[in-house]
Amino acid sequence: MAVDVKVVTYRDIFQYEAGKKGVHSEEYLRLSASIILDKQDLASLGIAEGGRVLVESDVNKIVVSATASTDEPHPGLAFMIKSPWSNQLEGDDSCLPGAPGFRGIRARVSPSSEDITQMAQILERLQS
Amino acid sequence: MTEFDYKTCTGCSLLCEDILFPDEDSISHAKNLCRKGLAHYQALFVERTGPLIEGKEASIDQAIEKGAEILRNASAPVIYGWSNCTLEAQMAGLALAEKIGAFVDDPSSHCEGRLMEMLLSGRIPSCTLDDVRHFADTAIFWGSDPSSTQPRHLSRFSYFPRGSKRQKSYEEERTCIVVDVRESSTAKLCPTTTYRVPPGEDLQFLEALLAVLDGKIPKFGDKKRMIELGSIIKKTEYGVIFPGPGMLISLQDKMDRFEDLLRRLNEITTFKVLPVTEQYNSRGFGQLLFERTGRTKAVKFSPSGEAAAGPTLVEAAKEADAILVLGADPLLDLPAGLARAFAAAPLIVIDPRRSLTADLAQVVIPAAISGLEGGGTALRTDGVKISFEPLMKSEQPTDEQILTRIMEAI
Repeated sequence: MAVDVKVVTYRDIFQYEAGKKGVHSEEYLRLSASIILDKQDLASLGIAEGGRVLVESDVNKIVVSATASTDEPHPGLAFMIKSPWSNQLEGDDSCLPGAPGFRGIRARVSPSSEDITQMAQILERLQS
Repeated sequence: MTEFDYKTCTGCSLLCEDILFPDEDSISHAKNLCRKGLAHYQALFVERTGPLIEGKEASIDQAIEKGAEILRNASAPVIYGWSNCTLEAQMAGLALAEKIGAFVDDPSSHCEGRLMEMLLSGRIPSCTLDDVRHFADTAIFWGSDPSSTQPRHLSRFSYFPRGSKRQKSYEEERTCIVVDVRESSTAKLCPTTTYRVPPGEDLQFLEALLAVLDGKIPKFGDKKRMIELGSIIKKTEYGVIFPGPGMLISLQDKMDRFEDLLRRLNEITTFKVLPVTEQYNSRGFGQLLFERTGRTKAVKFSPSGEAAAGPTLVEAAKEADAILVLGADPLLDLPAGLARAFAAAPLIVIDPRRSLTADLAQVVIPAAISGLEGGGTALRTDGVKISFEPLMKSEQPTDEQILTRIMEAI
């Protein structure tokens, strides 16, 4: 079971604050490694609020927690705070760094039993 | 009469100049700092870094010398970041770039770069934030969310203040409009004047707005609401559009249509444009580079110091045999493909704090925190030059001093 979405990134002041305290902190991880899905999209995945999902784009995949949107219905549209996690979904095909995130990254979201992707894993990927 | 010793916050590009620190040598009990500003200054006490070479402790002299050695031997150096540095540091950095023939770019260039070129070349009209405070009755946040990125924007300038011509302010005289893909923090302030645009469809929204301004039926969005928006604009006396990354990235090479929109708006009434730059001196770097080279982004200096349009940042980073990073954390902020190119190059990082980029750097040179431990000047997001003095003394050198020493060592 999976849903296809466009992931749009945004800035969040609370995540900024957490990052200033330390990007290796639990708080920064909690706020960054998370995706907001439309309520119906989340329900169709058969997972509860806060459940883990695999988010796969053309270039990479991450495991994050999923939460239900409190916004008006937006099926097929998902939101992530801009962070190394959302950045993992973007390749280098764009000459415009950060650009795809603001326009929408095409991704497939499915339930996952794997652990949330950690910052250390992201750093390993960046060095590979 | 009490005289207050106001300080300037370098937490974002509003550069708020009304910050009070009642306790010397401490940020405790600071007055007027927003959540972002407080976090910016609290960083003083965590994740500070010392001088490192290949991850091992070194003296600052050794770190500067090693950094200079790497740059001296580089044939394709890149200097990246700049946005969290003073104008003085940016000038010193550009002098270094000219000397070593470096490619230079900053994190904001991908979204604000084109807009800045249009503003600085006079193609679209702009104003100061003080003009917004005193005169503006309509503020359009298009793809921007200042409540998250410039938290005091609405309270100091664009919505809540009682400016000289806007004494009845948000209760009667000011209208806040948000155009966004999502219900942003700013959008929550004005639910009836928030317009949703699907990702990548800002051009269609713009064309629909142009249509209603010409009395035509729009072909995009809720027709009734688009016509209402046209009515608000036609009643506006002094409007300002604050474009953010959501809009600028979406429009990309269609910014000429944004220029057309501004031309049309100014046939009807007065409309200005102000960027919503995030980092405290993004505007400073863009403007400085523009004044030097005629470009606001991605400039390659030749070994003789001649400036030309550079390759893309992706290409430059992949070819780089040395990257000097200052005032940014590209491994934290850039898309993975591009961040990987940075991680593969020899990195020299000038930063007050530990960062993801510093964690992988060959050389880390610790610097004083601008505004808190080091003074200087910067350009506010509207281009107004702001000078600031440090709050505290620091043993760490400023970015400018470090860059000057690297230059001397090369």
